[in-house]
Amino acid sequence: MTILETKSLRKIYGSGEAEVHALDGVDLTVEKGEFLAVVGTSGSGKSTLLHMLGGLDRPTSGSVIVDGKDIFSLKDEALTIFRRRKIGFVFQNYNLVPVLNVFENIVLPIQLDGRQPDRAYVDQIIETLGLENKLRNLPNNLSGGQQQRVAIARALAAKPAIILADEPTGNLDSQTSQDVMGLLKVTSQKFAQTIVMITHNEEISQMADRVIRIEDGRIRSSHEIVRKPEQDGERG
Amino acid sequence: MIKVANKGCIRRLGFRSMKAARTRNIVAVLAIALTTVLFTSLFTIASSINYSFQQQNFRQAGSDMHGSVKDLTWEQVEELRTDPLIQEGVARMFLGMPSEPPFNKSHVEVSYLEPAAAPHYFCTPVEGALPREGTNEAAMDTHVLALLGVEPEIGAEFTLTFNVDDNTGTPIPVTRTFILSGWWEYDSAIVANHVVLPRSAAEEICALSSGDPYSLTGKWSLDVMFKNAMNIEENLYQVLENHGYQGRDFQAENYLDIGVNWGYSGAQLSQNFDITTLIAIVVLLLLIIFTGYLIIYNVFQISVTNDIRFYGLLKTIGTTGKQLKRIVRQQALLLSLIGIPIGLLLGFVTGNKLTPVIMAQLSYTHTFVSFNPLIFIGAALFALVTVFLSCARPGRMAAKVSPVEAVRYTEGGKTGRKKSGGRTQAHGVSSGASLPKMAWANLGRSKGKTIVTVISLTLAVVLATMTYTFANGFDMVKYLQTKANVDFILGDAAYFQSNFYSKDEEVPESVLSDVTARNGIEENGRIYGKVSDIEQFVSEEWFRTAWSAWNSPEILDLMVEQAQKVGDGLLADRVGLYGMEDFPLSLLTVLDGDLAPLSDPTQNAIAAVYLTDDYNASIWGSHWAKLGDKVTLRYVSQREYYYTDTGEIIEDLNQIDPNRNYNARAAVYEDKEYTVCALVNIPHSISYRYWGADQFVMGAEQFKQDSGTESVMTYIFNTTDEAEADMESFLAEYTENVQPLYDYESRASYVAEFEGFKGMFATMGGALSLIIGLVGILNFINAVLTGILTRKRELAVLQSVGMTGKQLKSMLVYEGLYYTILALLVSLVMTVCLGPLLGNAVSGVFWFFSYRFTIVPIIMILPVFVALGVLVPLWTYRSVAKRTIVERLREAEA
Repeated sequence: MTILETKSLRKIYGSGEAEVHALDGVDLTVEKGEFLAVVGTSGSGKSTLLHMLGGLDRPTSGSVIVDGKDIFSLKDEALTIFRRRKIGFVFQNYNLVPVLNVFENIVLPIQLDGRQPDRAYVDQIIETLGLENKLRNLPNNLSGGQQQRVAIARALAAKPAIILADEPTGNLDSQTSQDVMGLLKVTSQKFAQTIVMITHNEEISQMADRVIRIEDGRIRSSHEIVRKPEQDGERG
Repeated sequence: MIKVANKGCIRRLGFRSMKAARTRNIVAVLAIALTTVLFTSLFTIASSINYSFQQQNFRQAGSDMHGSVKDLTWEQVEELRTDPLIQEGVARMFLGMPSEPPFNKSHVEVSYLEPAAAPHYFCTPVEGALPREGTNEAAMDTHVLALLGVEPEIGAEFTLTFNVDDNTGTPIPVTRTFILSGWWEYDSAIVANHVVLPRSAAEEICALSSGDPYSLTGKWSLDVMFKNAMNIEENLYQVLENHGYQGRDFQAENYLDIGVNWGYSGAQLSQNFDITTLIAIVVLLLLIIFTGYLIIYNVFQISVTNDIRFYGLLKTIGTTGKQLKRIVRQQALLLSLIGIPIGLLLGFVTGNKLTPVIMAQLSYTHTFVSFNPLIFIGAALFALVTVFLSCARPGRMAAKVSPVEAVRYTEGGKTGRKKSGGRTQAHGVSSGASLPKMAWANLGRSKGKTIVTVISLTLAVVLATMTYTFANGFDMVKYLQTKANVDFILGDAAYFQSNFYSKDEEVPESVLSDVTARNGIEENGRIYGKVSDIEQFVSEEWFRTAWSAWNSPEILDLMVEQAQKVGDGLLADRVGLYGMEDFPLSLLTVLDGDLAPLSDPTQNAIAAVYLTDDYNASIWGSHWAKLGDKVTLRYVSQREYYYTDTGEIIEDLNQIDPNRNYNARAAVYEDKEYTVCALVNIPHSISYRYWGADQFVMGAEQFKQDSGTESVMTYIFNTTDEAEADMESFLAEYTENVQPLYDYESRASYVAEFEGFKGMFATMGGALSLIIGLVGILNFINAVLTGILTRKRELAVLQSVGMTGKQLKSMLVYEGLYYTILALLVSLVMTVCLGPLLGNAVSGVFWFFSYRFTIVPIIMILPVFVALGVLVPLWTYRSVAKRTIVERLREAEA
């Protein structure tokens, strides 16, 4: 089942000679439960693609369909609401709200939506990510890896259709990166989540089900990572 | 449904992020408090003036009770008083009034007051107590005591004669000796002066009454208070109805007379607030809202700009624009909860300190502090409205933040992503890194903040300049131009109220001799006023012109028809006449001719009085008589009434037929012809002080001889310089306590009046400028403070690449100075441009105002602003510089 689809997605910054084609006709399909990695060099357009997928920025032309909905047909306010219900974000900088504690950060998108968090589900996520003992801490008192785990928990808590991760390990050392990636993968499988992750790190990208390479705003290659089922099991 | 559910979460977010912004909170609370101070002071002053006006009315009305039921028996008082509608009921029994001198010119009532009624009748003794039952004690005010010639001392014995059955055809004089048990101060606003007796004495005196049913002696009146002052009349009728009486038809049965205290009626209160006052209040309100807006907006705008990452982040994870707006609004509300109560308290104190300054300029005898809850509700509401207006735009900005922008902000933790900032630095470096240029460019980075801060400072400076210009522009020379050049003017109190009409308002020789017995009087003279029936003759055209100001054309026609005619088609008309001794004559401005013939009664000379406008210019059309004209005056000693249709003379005025038109004319009279020897202006302060008839001046001897009257309207005199102060204090004491019916004006009192008026403007404007100045300075401090704090890392970077601490401080000082100097420059431009405009407008309102351009206040403020511009940045930087460069570089990255 297709959960995310882009059609001829274009984004042009500037005009005339200064015109930059950040995205130049991207067609992409992501299946439910898939873990997709988008790799590319700095300036390749991968961040722009992620912004488009998340409805953070509007494309020049083309459409993004999330869960059967053309998200850019929505007005700003409706798009924000759609975003907090259907899309979870994990940023390089974690972007936790500094004045809220860990638990409050995790359930914030749900509460913003005026819903009560599904306590059992949230507890399960917290336990999976090993955050049980940090719930009352403020983000500033956590290490980078811990902060990113909180961000992952926040992204998962609202049961979104897809999780968008922008260089989630960019600020972490390699060991912590491995741990966080492992957790991201495990939890996404456990909670049947779709993940689109941006990275420039080839090693990290290999943990995805599929890797697409983006260059000059176009998809240059796409290949499945083939591995034996037990490999995943070992990692988990 | 969604909105309700997520409120808690938004509230938590708002509250927590607010706690993180301590400096912002302090500044915002102060700003809100100062804005509230301004509102509260304004409302307190307005409300106190209104309240004092009401109190003044109560004194004129005689009591502060809502209404009264009159002409009751004691049984009726007891019966009505129990009515549930009545919150408080107090009774008074009337006995009679003294009418023989010295009481002939005063309204004194002898009565019994229930002790609870005394304060409502303003009869609370300041010394002693109300009379005790079973004694011959009495209490009264200092005016009655002065008339009796009794010293206000408890236990003083005196004899008072007054009439029982005073309002009937057969008043019975009663003379009693009393012992003074207590007294209170005379209040000129109170029309009726009371002599209070104990009930025992009152009832004993009542027994002397003839029992005439119309006599008021022994009649009770019940003064009542209802729950509130709404529908007093209806409530009174209802009370009567509840007990089987009625108050609507005085010919029907069970009629009781009611009275509503007019001091409570809305019409009376609203009169106080004319359209000018209303405009002034609205302008002030707008000014305060604007002042408050400038700072509160700036505080929130700066705060939201600094927290834009935070708002962007919230937006990214799904906070809607509406929710972001709510976060900002909620913070504003919380800060208001702290700031507004502080402002209400301080504003109330400020308002009460300022009220007496204004009240001194209004001719109220009493100043009351109004503690009306509406003041606080109103001020709080206005302050809240200002706060919400101010944070609307910052709220919109937070709501509109683009999530991508926010994500960008966070990439790599770069804070200084402001495009112009980068350009500025490059520019500064390429041109040799001139510190003043860098500082200037830094101000340009957030133009909005700079402009708002500068306007805020400018507002205070311009207001201060305006205040100074106003207060200094009041021109004493111009003010005194309408006053006669004389040290003292003595007259009946009524004269000074523009009420000299008859012999009742003359100054008797006994009073004059008291004054002339004093030392040091130099030039002096009497002005005699017209107290007899005198007419002049004018053309129909002039008659119509003169009267058209007050009458419709139809009425004018009727007046012309009914006016008495003489030969040559002239009409009899009223005339104003002065008889002046030499000294007052010397104070007249002679426009044409010569005054000398006036002093010789054989010459039959007369001077015609031309009016002047506010600016002391003669109005040439204000009199018909020209130099050399013959003027005939008719001295009427008897008038007769006649029916206009038949000309039949009415012998007995009591038998007049009301269905026929009748008129009056001079029957016994003497005409006398005069020659106009001069055209003059009379200084307003020694004129009749009211408009109406054409006026002439005669020499004193001629006036006395021809009119047969010699009523002194005013006695005017100069004293030696040494004696002036002594005379002033003598007259003040004399007219206050010995002869309170007479009054005086002096050069010193004019000067004091002028200075007081000027002082009121200076105090009010000064207070307003001071508070708005505080707001401006607070705004400036906030701008500098946040400007330095948010650039902590940038400043550290500058230092890391080699800028010395001294250079950095100079740059910041330049920034601070630019703000304050800019504000002064804008103020200067505004003063130059707006000053003459406003000056003209003010001269239009106050005739004694001369606009003089001045920048003295700006020069006086200059050092203060320079000091602020230097010290505030240095003081702020010191707290930043406590940390090492490395720490600061790191901190900003986190």
